[in-house]
Amino acid sequence: MTSPVIELDGLRVKLGRREILLGISCRLGASGAGKAIGLLGPNGAGKSTLIQTLLGFHKPVAGRARVLGYDCHRQVREVRARVGYMPETESFIANMTAVTFLRLMGELSGLPQETALEKAHEVLFHVGLGEARYRQLGTYSLGMKQMAKLAQAIVHGPELVIFDEPTNGLDPAARQRMLKLVREMKDDHGMNVVVCSHLLLDVEQVCDEVIIMNNGLIVHQADLEAERRSNRCFVELEVIGEDQGLGGALAGIGADGVSEGGGRWRIVLPPSIEIQSLWALLGRQGLHVRKLTHRRDTLEEIFLKAVGHIQHTPGEAAAEKSLTV
Amino acid sequence: MAVYKRGYQRYQGPLTGYWARFLVAPRFAWERLFQQRQVVILLVGAMIWPLFCAVFIYLANHSELWAGFGSGFKNFLEINGKFFLVFMNAQAVFAVLLAALAGPGLIASDLANNALPLYFSRPMSRPDYVLARLLVLVGMLSLVTWIPGAALFFMQVGMAGWGWFSENWRLGVGVVAGFLIWVLIVSLVALACSAYVRWRVVAGGLVLGFFFVLGGVAKMVNTVFRVEWGSVLSPTAAMYQIWCDMLEVETPLGLNTAECIGTLVVLGVLLVVVLERKLRPVEVIT
Repeated sequence: MTSPVIELDGLRVKLGRREILLGISCRLGASGAGKAIGLLGPNGAGKSTLIQTLLGFHKPVAGRARVLGYDCHRQVREVRARVGYMPETESFIANMTAVTFLRLMGELSGLPQETALEKAHEVLFHVGLGEARYRQLGTYSLGMKQMAKLAQAIVHGPELVIFDEPTNGLDPAARQRMLKLVREMKDDHGMNVVVCSHLLLDVEQVCDEVIIMNNGLIVHQADLEAERRSNRCFVELEVIGEDQGLGGALAGIGADGVSEGGGRWRIVLPPSIEIQSLWALLGRQGLHVRKLTHRRDTLEEIFLKAVGHIQHTPGEAAAEKSLTV
Repeated sequence: MAVYKRGYQRYQGPLTGYWARFLVAPRFAWERLFQQRQVVILLVGAMIWPLFCAVFIYLANHSELWAGFGSGFKNFLEINGKFFLVFMNAQAVFAVLLAALAGPGLIASDLANNALPLYFSRPMSRPDYVLARLLVLVGMLSLVTWIPGAALFFMQVGMAGWGWFSENWRLGVGVVAGFLIWVLIVSLVALACSAYVRWRVVAGGLVLGFFFVLGGVAKMVNTVFRVEWGSVLSPTAAMYQIWCDMLEVETPLGLNTAECIGTLVVLGVLLVVVLERKLRPVEVIT
């Protein structure tokens, strides 16, 4: 049985007199599995405090946090030796070339001198800064600095990489490149990844699991893959022709459908039924399709529901409506 | 295979031990410091006075070279506590100048560029970071303080013989220990100023001000209030008093050595508190 990458047990953290994390518990990821965990939440939810606690920057007032089986407070050196961290804010060492910077970071993490130099070059080429590796970090553009931060986080080959807003300030092309690199880390190199981001699309593209935080608590924890599978598809349909038999036919394939009159239908497809099945059914019924829109709940909608901004996701609302009618 | 062709591979080999990692930061910092022209010039400049003192010791031990001069000159060329006190005073100034030049760049730039999370997310604690930075300054200031001081002492021992050593070994201990205390205080002041101000040039100015302006303030307090305790405000005066005691030279101040040691201890504690408050991986606003 594999141990979780992150294990929180009644974790409470206070900064000054304010309690930021109010006793959170969860188990995330599986060590060695190369999973990506998304950390979502509105501003002030406690995401950054959680990350900083995992790195041993804050001492919990109660409960405990374990990373890769090591206690984040008592075995902080063990944790830090196995973790790479890409901070949200601009962080670098002034008047230093990228190669020297990475060599320093690698050696501080425990790489032997020659290996650190070799890895510095290797990682800089990997993140696309190969040609600029002898330039001073202060002369880099914002996008290049983001890539340099990514490079320092992975130069020592950590088991877990923590990204705090990795796509901040990146143009669309650079953003895609950053997300691709993050995906490669888990898929090709078996690293576990934690991505903390406000951009839900980024998390949706990269992560396998997600936790949503609000006011210092975990309000939703989901396996994204399972969520996608269980997320029903909501269809709005408009047809021409004799559609009286459509309700029964839909029930025959396991879908719920409600006629709104004039050939307009609202249909909820269960996760096992693909949209193609509906097209085939409509063809068999001899109906002409004037309009067909279909969508699933997005992570954004799941997020908004979890933090209490909406009561139901559109999918849930549609399902409820169709069942009521 | 060329590096650019082979792609990224995770490192899974053995890691270095604690001490090897601890020395990484000082090694990189020294490398960068010795690339600064002003630091090298000042270091070379700081070697002139020890060379002059070495010539003095040579002359003092070769009476045939100044046989024609009077007895006053003979007394002038005596190697004793006063000689080492003068040597230490001059080198102490160079130590302050070097600390003001090199010290602020060690922490201020890390704070200004928010580099502390990068250090502290690695197997490096806050005490490790401060000790590593302290080691950089202590190492560099040692080159102009106790190392030339000890070299001069042993040069004198070599020329004057073991008889002189048995009578004056306390001078050697005084020079090394006195300089080590000074180097530690100067380094702590430089690091604390650097952590407090964050702006390199201002931090450098603050270091100079700390030693030179506080001396003036202490004298002003003594004069205005007609007291002697004003000297506790001046770390240089306190250090001078301790050196005088160590080198068995007549002491000029009203404060005794214990009070001066107390002054420096309190100062050291305050500087450590400043470093503890300022050097955090993340700033917590409460």
